[in-house]
Amino acid sequence: MTLDPEILARIQFGFTITFHIIFPTMTIGLSLFLVIVEGLYLRTQERLFLQLYQFWLNIFAMTFVVGVVTGIVMSFMFGLSFARFAQTAGSVIGPLIAMEVLTAFFLEAGFIGIVLFGLNKVGPKLHFVATCMVFLGTITSATWIVAANSWMQTPAGFAVQGGRLVVTNWWDVIINPSMLYRVPHTLMAAFLTGAFLVTGIGALYLLKGVHLAFARRTVSLGLAIATVCIGMQVFLGDLVYTVMIQHQPAKMQAAEGFWEIDSESPAPYYWFVIPDQKNQRNVFEIKTPVLGSIWLTHSLDGTVKGLKNTPRELQPKMAWVFYGFHLMYVIALIMSAVVGTSVYLRVRQRLFTSRWFLWVLVIMIPSGLLATLGGWYTAERGRQPFVIYGILKTADAFSPVPASTLLASLITFVVVYSMFLAAFLVFTVRIIRRGPEELPDSADVAVNRGQGWQSLPSNASPCAQPAE
Amino acid sequence: MDPAVLSAAFIAFALAMYAVLDGFDLGVGALLLFEKDELTRDQMVTTIAPAWDGNETWLIMAAIVLLAAFPRAYGILVPAFYIPVIIMLLALGLRGIAFEFRMKSSGRRPSWDRVFTVGSLLAGFMQGCIVGGLIQGIKVQGDQFAGSPFDVFSPFSFLCGVGVVLAYIQLGAGWLHHKGLPLTDLRGHVFARAIPVAFALLAAAAGVAAVRIQPQFAHAWSERPLLLGALALVFIAVDGASLRYMGARRSVPALAPFGFAALMLACGFTGLLVGLFPYIVPFKFTLWQVAAPAATQIFLLSGVAAVTPVVLAYLSFSYWVFRGPTPKPEAT
Repeated sequence: MTLDPEILARIQFGFTITFHIIFPTMTIGLSLFLVIVEGLYLRTQERLFLQLYQFWLNIFAMTFVVGVVTGIVMSFMFGLSFARFAQTAGSVIGPLIAMEVLTAFFLEAGFIGIVLFGLNKVGPKLHFVATCMVFLGTITSATWIVAANSWMQTPAGFAVQGGRLVVTNWWDVIINPSMLYRVPHTLMAAFLTGAFLVTGIGALYLLKGVHLAFARRTVSLGLAIATVCIGMQVFLGDLVYTVMIQHQPAKMQAAEGFWEIDSESPAPYYWFVIPDQKNQRNVFEIKTPVLGSIWLTHSLDGTVKGLKNTPRELQPKMAWVFYGFHLMYVIALIMSAVVGTSVYLRVRQRLFTSRWFLWVLVIMIPSGLLATLGGWYTAERGRQPFVIYGILKTADAFSPVPASTLLASLITFVVVYSMFLAAFLVFTVRIIRRGPEELPDSADVAVNRGQGWQSLPSNASPCAQPAE
Repeated sequence: MDPAVLSAAFIAFALAMYAVLDGFDLGVGALLLFEKDELTRDQMVTTIAPAWDGNETWLIMAAIVLLAAFPRAYGILVPAFYIPVIIMLLALGLRGIAFEFRMKSSGRRPSWDRVFTVGSLLAGFMQGCIVGGLIQGIKVQGDQFAGSPFDVFSPFSFLCGVGVVLAYIQLGAGWLHHKGLPLTDLRGHVFARAIPVAFALLAAAAGVAAVRIQPQFAHAWSERPLLLGALALVFIAVDGASLRYMGARRSVPALAPFGFAALMLACGFTGLLVGLFPYIVPFKFTLWQVAAPAATQIFLLSGVAAVTPVVLAYLSFSYWVFRGPTPKPEAT
């Protein structure tokens, strides 16, 4: 077997970005939760919120650090895996990422120290400002990077001069045709990820009958966030679908599993297919008749265009796009059902006692992450064979690095990242097992220390305790 | 001034910020190796805890501005330094992870500290190798790197690697001094004095070697003898001052040793820039040959000009919040 450097470069980029994206997604979702909880604490002075803040800050700190160290890798990965993409498009997307670094990374980095170690150093209001700044940093970061990615999906605002891309209008580059839809869609995905993550862990405590007050408040708040977000996400997802079908029809054709130029009328909805790209057909399908017309064309007899509308050499591989998209879509449906059920149970005052439902919440812990990854695979695999849609093919973009070197580096990344993941999981599980620190009976501790508002030892760092 | 030069100057600024700031926390990481007392190690790590993330961000800044303003150079340099870049990234990663988990781990803290130290040393060493690789020059064909990924490794680049590690250790020692942990207390004044001496010797050796192996570099240096002489004088003077300070038997917390170390690093960095300028892909492409179109430079520089002052302001604020000597943690 000969090693293909293009494939290796793609696997390396795909692996490192897939691993990376998990952590900022959680970071964004958790930082929203932290802002809400700390804000509620400042407003109500209810100490339960402080306990929530402390506990989730610990988890947040770990997702943050893994996100940072794998993120630094990404800033070089354009050159390590896709040097020729960097050379062609660096002058367009480089400035967007530079703005991300300037307006987001520094903001997060500048205030994360105060958030994690400054509880005793600054007043409660300033500490809340720091939490908000970190949150602002995470969403600003997502905004710039999704803007850059959206430009790769729906490029605009540039001219090609001598094989190089020259920007003619920065506004069009940044606010490209899909950016305004994909940014909120991505943010909402991260909020949902965080919401289901905290809710599931809260539910776990309720099932075990420990940390009850903490767990009830967590589940209640988490589901409230999920309820707001899933409603908006269904709407936003539909918008993204509508925009992408205009700009990248092949992606959506692949996402829904249709091959023929025009489907039968009425069109079925495919829940699962096993596509055979070579013969341009499905070898296995699970479908509901007529539903395709209703959902995809909003009529009873509309037809859906299939992947054969796209010339073969410009088709994405259907399997990746279909599975990615349906993973996201099915999870969104389940999330909607879970949220709907939770509202019903809340009204009936059985939210914290329905064990079966609490188990469902526990199972839903990774749902947001899986849906986010599904969505990203739809976006990225559906854009193939292009890296910049319609402009630059992936085959013309990879780095001139020997295949053997690429293979060695890929294996190294897999090994080291597995260690990161193992350490992350071990410590997260340990923190979850240990549970939140119980609240002291009175606020005496804070007074005794003479250090202001914070009475719980900052378990973000045993070294960060105040001087005696 | 033309925008390509300004963009290059900003990259140099970001790299200098990176070298000084992450330099001190990498140096502290390396110095953990020499500290047996766990509580003192905690104290050392606490001095860098709130800062290391922001410090590393300057490296991302430099890399991304290179991508934006000199995309062709980025696309040549990163593949040319493929191996040291990846080792550096993973070393920084391991170090960040070790940093986070050493605090959460009760029993295995010494092992995490070992990872922290190795990550810090390896990251600095690889950065030095990259400096050496730049001076050696890069094989380019058309717009692509045309050499082998192993080209960068040579006795000379290893020498530069050790030099950078020593520079970082001196920065780290200076930082700890300022935070109330002077090296004379930690390791005795002989050890504390050895660092500036070793750094000066290595810097001199690297300078001589650079001139011998790379005629273009030597030529660039010979064109600016006065500047180079001044740099050398400042370097020697500051090294002497830091020798006095760091080796003193009794020491009070002060920022001076850190400032001295930063100044020495700045001298070395300036010497490097003088030798490479105007090449950005040495010694093949000048920065004008590979600069992005004017539209990119102007957008980028406007963003930089508007946001950098704000960034510097709140980063300074964060340092100010955590100012002063770090107390020794209680035993738990």
